[in-house]
This record gives sequence, structure tokens and C-alpha cells, in this order.
Amino acid sequence: MTVTPTKPAETLAPAKGAKTTPARGKRTNRKQLLAIWLFLVPAAVLGLYFKFIPMVEGIRLSLFKVQPFLGDVFVGFDNYIRVLTDARFMEALGHTVVLGLTQTLGALVVGFVLALLLEGQSRSLWVLRTAIFLPVVTALAVVGEIWRILYFPTADGPLNNILSWVGLGPLQFLNGTDTALWSIAVVGIWSGAPYNMVIILAGLTGVDRSLYESAGVDGATIWQRLRYITLPALRPSIVIVLTLAAIRSLRSFTEVYVLTGGGPAGSTEVWMTRMYSLGFQRNDIGVASAAAVLLLVVTLLLTVGTQLLARRKALR
Amino acid sequence: MDSKKMSRSRAAVALTIASAAVLTGCGAGSSAPAATDDGQPIEVWARAGTDAATTYAALFKEFTAKTGVQVNFQGVPDLDQQLQTRAASKKLPDIVINDSAALGNYTAQGYLQTLDKSTVAGNDKIADSLWDEAKGLDGATYGVPFSRQTMVTMIRKDWREKLGLPVPKTQEDLAALAQAFATQDPDGNGQADTYGMTVPGSTERGYLGWWASSYIWQDGGSYLKDEGDGKYAATASSAEAEKGVTWIKQQFCTPGNTQPGALTAATSVASPFFQTGKTGIILTGPYNLTAFDTALGKDTYEVIEAPKGSVDNTVLAEGENIYVTASNGKPEQTRKVIDYLVSPDGQKAGMTAGKQPIVRVPVNADVDAASVYNDPRWGVVQDALKDSSKAFPSAINFVPVKQAAAEALNKIVSDCGSDNVASGLKDLDTAINNELTSQNAKS
Repeated sequence: MTVTPTKPAETLAPAKGAKTTPARGKRTNRKQLLAIWLFLVPAAVLGLYFKFIPMVEGIRLSLFKVQPFLGDVFVGFDNYIRVLTDARFMEALGHTVVLGLTQTLGALVVGFVLALLLEGQSRSLWVLRTAIFLPVVTALAVVGEIWRILYFPTADGPLNNILSWVGLGPLQFLNGTDTALWSIAVVGIWSGAPYNMVIILAGLTGVDRSLYESAGVDGATIWQRLRYITLPALRPSIVIVLTLAAIRSLRSFTEVYVLTGGGPAGSTEVWMTRMYSLGFQRNDIGVASAAAVLLLVVTLLLTVGTQLLARRKALR
Repeated sequence: MDSKKMSRSRAAVALTIASAAVLTGCGAGSSAPAATDDGQPIEVWARAGTDAATTYAALFKEFTAKTGVQVNFQGVPDLDQQLQTRAASKKLPDIVINDSAALGNYTAQGYLQTLDKSTVAGNDKIADSLWDEAKGLDGATYGVPFSRQTMVTMIRKDWREKLGLPVPKTQEDLAALAQAFATQDPDGNGQADTYGMTVPGSTERGYLGWWASSYIWQDGGSYLKDEGDGKYAATASSAEAEKGVTWIKQQFCTPGNTQPGALTAATSVASPFFQTGKTGIILTGPYNLTAFDTALGKDTYEVIEAPKGSVDNTVLAEGENIYVTASNGKPEQTRKVIDYLVSPDGQKAGMTAGKQPIVRVPVNADVDAASVYNDPRWGVVQDALKDSSKAFPSAINFVPVKQAAAEALNKIVSDCGSDNVASGLKDLDTAINNELTSQNAKS
């Protein structure tokens, strides 16, 4: 509610301006349009070449048995059927969903807590925020190698060492079939949460301070203030965070590939790693493309779904 | 407002047409490309990191000096991915030097031209068994052998002698030695931070299947059997294979016998354990000798004949072939390159010209590895290759079989609590047979 009043004002302003100058004529209009399109061209060309053409090509390949030197063979939806009936793919789907949910929710909660803790203007907070943001800008491959060391599965591994102070472990972490997926999720949360923190921090600055004050005067507890003022005000930020995180976690590849390569015993194989091994290690580009298209469809549905859900909630 | 809309839609139409034009230009034609000579220097690709690439560069420099034929050489670490990209644009490099096991994959994709063995100068210097490995499912020759090697067992000699243990002769000895390395503090630093064997137990690129094959063969088992006529059948659930896998599982399930994290370690993660003195045993290719000599010192470790399993001491043999691609339109230059690469001069240059040998054990019978390297350890490799080695079948696309083996074995050895060897291998049999069927190679 706190955000809505500002929005229409912003969007209306330029529209009003346009209406007051209808007499300028077509020429300026055309020039303006040309300029707009000229500015758009670089992005459009880049997008076309590196996004849309590969995408269309991917969809085309998903209908073929791909063998450039023998001629591609049209197989209709066979590739899709093979993906959907492949037990390994279904297992990977399960892992992807579990990993995605844990990472998304974990990163949201941790990001939210971080944002609440680190909100403010002072210089020390700024330094701290930068430090906490570092995992996001660090290459995932590097992050993976570092966590491999932290997760070293013997008693003298760094994390196991810490666990032993409280009488736990040693845990197998990445090396155990029961713990590997969760260990990866923790790495994902660790590297994803600061990103969410930044978006939520931006959202927090938009919360009207006077609301807190009046709530304080009315005797609301901290929890009530959080529940009835902060969270509703953050809805747009949280929707963005959730959408981005859902898409990102469905595509998670690097951390899994670097940390476990899908093992042990396939317990961390996700959609993307399965796709990769089919496409690039087994040379089965057609099936891999079909899997990619399915992933695209699911991502689309999920994005649209989150948006619809958010809109409906906002209307209510 | 109207004109705005109009011109916007006009622009959109223009954009769509442009993209359609680009698209058709991109995706047109699905027929096989023709082999043509573009007048450029002959393009040679090999799977090579930076060290190996120095050797190739030196070798081809010598070649150009001798023959005047210009070569455009590229060392490509992720060769197969890059080849796919080039295949999609229908212009492969003219010559590809890669694993002998890649042959089945390449022929299945139609990447290769057939070769006439008799046109290769000095073809009689290359053993018939090697030529046989370069045959496709249709019996035609698709590659020229270039280099061969076997896996060898390397052991920390200083550790073994400190603990007063003999050179292992059997798999049992090897396991006992691994256990001793893990428990008796062979490096004498007072901490339990050493382990027995270095094992790449990851499923990535089928590493575990690759590593385990030697031990399974040593007990008389195998992943599959050649039934002749280009047909194969899975044999992974035989009693012999079960015995080999049981021994392998024991190593994974005895704490310390393998390095920590072995289940998810690719070779790049595993090898440093040996290289930095954390493990004392490694089964690997002789290409690692240079790196280990630098890191550990030549005298600290020994290269031994593989310990025997219940049947023999077979180890995995691998190698590289020279492949001529389907889009190669330069027969003259190609012949010269191949003739040089398998000649004694070319083979010697491949062993010594750069930082890392690209010819490990020469295929040319006139060249002797141990004397060229002046290193008796290469004699061990050469003997193993001659007397007790086996290669994966190269006519079929073996990569998926190796991958399936790695996945099945990884599953078996990661669950120490249950007795899953027999059932896991039965599943592997099914997986291998399914794969063979999909390649039309099931007997």
C-alpha cells in the first residue's frame, strides 16, 4: 500500500507532457521515433543473435536427431518422449525441485534477515554490506573449489573441525548420498542470499518510517511491526526476488558441476547437468535440446505464475 | 498516434523479416557437406593442454621445415565440445588427433573418412593389432594409430620402505599397503593425514568406470564382450566382474584406503593427493611422470608392474589415433602429415620435442620408448602394453558404456552398508545392453 501512490504519479507524468504538445507535428515525432529505434538497434541485434536465434535453433534441433555430417533426421516429438520417460531425468527433476525450493526459500530468509540487520546509512554498515555481497560477484567455479575444501569430509576438514567443537561430525558432506544435495543447497544460499539482500534493502528504504512510529505508539511488538508493516511493504521486492531465484535455481549448473559433478550415486544430478552430459558427453544434441525447451517452458510458466499470483494478491 | 503505431509495426515487420533471413541463412540445408580444398594451410586439431601443445608445435615446425607443407595446429583441451560446434557449421578441422576410443563416436556421427592403410608409408611398422583397433563397425579403417600407453601403478617408495613392506604382487598386497599407508603414518609427521590410493571416483566423464576397468579385468571380468561382426553383449554381472567390483568396493568402504572425497573426485581433483604427498598409491597414465617427478622427486616413488588379481595383471591400454575428417579436401597434404607423424622421426619428436610427450609409447616398431626417454620406467609401460593390456572396444561409441559403468559403480561403492554389488551390476548389464541396442551393436 505504501508503494502504490507513487507509481501512477510517475507513469502519468510523461504522458501528460506528451498530451500538452500535440501541435509539434509529425516530423519531430518521426525523428524521435527514429532515435528511439536507433538506440534500440544494438540491443536488438545482440539479443537477436545471442538469444533469439539460438533459442529458435534450439527448438528446431529438439525435433531432430542431430548429426550434421549425416544429415539431421526429423523425429517429431520422440526426443521429448525420451526425456519425459527417462528415469534419470525424472530423478534429476526431483533433485532440481528440492534444490530449487531450498535454495530459493533459504536465500530469501537469509537475505531478508541480512537486510534487516544491515539496513542503515552508517559507513561501517556500507563496508559490511560490500563484504557480504562479495560471494555474488565471485566466480561460481572459484566458490565451488573453496567450498570443496571447506567441506573436506575428514575430521580435520575445516567445517568438520568446527562441528567437532560442539561434538558433531565428522560429516561426509559432498561425499555422502544423503548430505550432498543439502551441502550444495547451502553453497547456493550462501552465494544467493546477498543478492536478495540488496533488492530487499532497496525495498526497505521505501517503507514509510512514520508507520513504524505510529505502530510503536499503538504498542505493536517488533514481530507485529515486521508482520503488518515491513512484509506487506516489501511484497514487490519479494516477488522479484522469488521470480529471479526460481528461474536461477532451475538453471543451477555450475555449483553442482564444480562441487560434485552430479554424484555421488547420482544424488545431486540436476536437470542442467543431465542435459549437459547428454548433449556434450553423449553427443545427443537433439535430446538435450528437447530437455532445454522443456526447461524453458517450465521457467516461463513459473514466471508467469508467480506474476499472476502476486498480482491477484495485490488486488485483494 | 496512428502513424506512431504504423511505423512501429513497420519496423517490427522489418525486424522479423531480417531475423527470418538470418535464420534461414543459419539453418539451411541438412545434407552432408562436401570436402573441398580452400587453399588454406591444413588444419590439425588435437586434444592437448598447454604443455602438450608445445610438443605439437615443435613437431609440426620440424615437419614444415622438412616438407614445406604449412600446418595450422590448434591444441584444444575440450576437443569434443569444440568439434561439435565445428560440425554444426559443417567444416571440421582437416585432421583430428584424439583418443582411439573416440572412433566409434566419430564414425557414428559421420565425422570421418575411411582410410586405405596401404597408402600410409611404414604401415607395416605398426602392429596389426593396432590397425584392428582403428576399424569401425563396418570393418573399414577410420584412423591411423599414433601413440599408445597403459595405466601404470605408482607407489611411494620412501613410504613403503619406511614401513618395511614389500612391493605389492597381488590385489590383496595392494589393499594391505593402502591400509598401512593410511594407518601407520608413513610420512612421519605424527598426524593421521595420509591415505592409501588416489581414486578418481567421480561419474564425471565416466572416470570411475575408466579407473575400475583394470581391476575388473584382473579378476577376469569385463563390462562387455565382443561377439564378433560388430556385435557386443554386456557381461558386467558375471561372477568374475562381481569379484573385481567387490574388491573395489572394499577399498572405498575401508576408511583411509582411498583419499577422502574420492566418490566425487575427477582426476583433476584426485591426482593432487598423490602429487602433494597425501596418498601413496595411484593407478594412472605415464603422462603424469613429468609432473610427479617435479613435485615429489624421481626417487620418492616407483613405477611397478600392476599387482595381480585372481586371474592376471591386465591394465587398461589407451592411445591416440590420427583421424581424417569428412570435410578434408587436401589428400596430398594429409598423406604427408600422416606419413611424418608415424615415421621414426615424427614419433621421436612427439616423445621429446616439447614439455610433455604426446607420443607416449610409440606405435612404430622401430622406435623404443625406454631408450628414447632413457628411463627404465617407460620400459614398464612398454612391457605392460605388449604383454598384459586390454583396450576398450573402439568400434562402438564406448563413452556411454563407460559413463553407465561409472554411474553404476559409483552407486555400488557409495552405499557401504548394503550388499548391493550383484544387484548393481545386474542394473549395469541392463544399461549397457540398452546402450548397445541403441547403437545397433547388440548381439
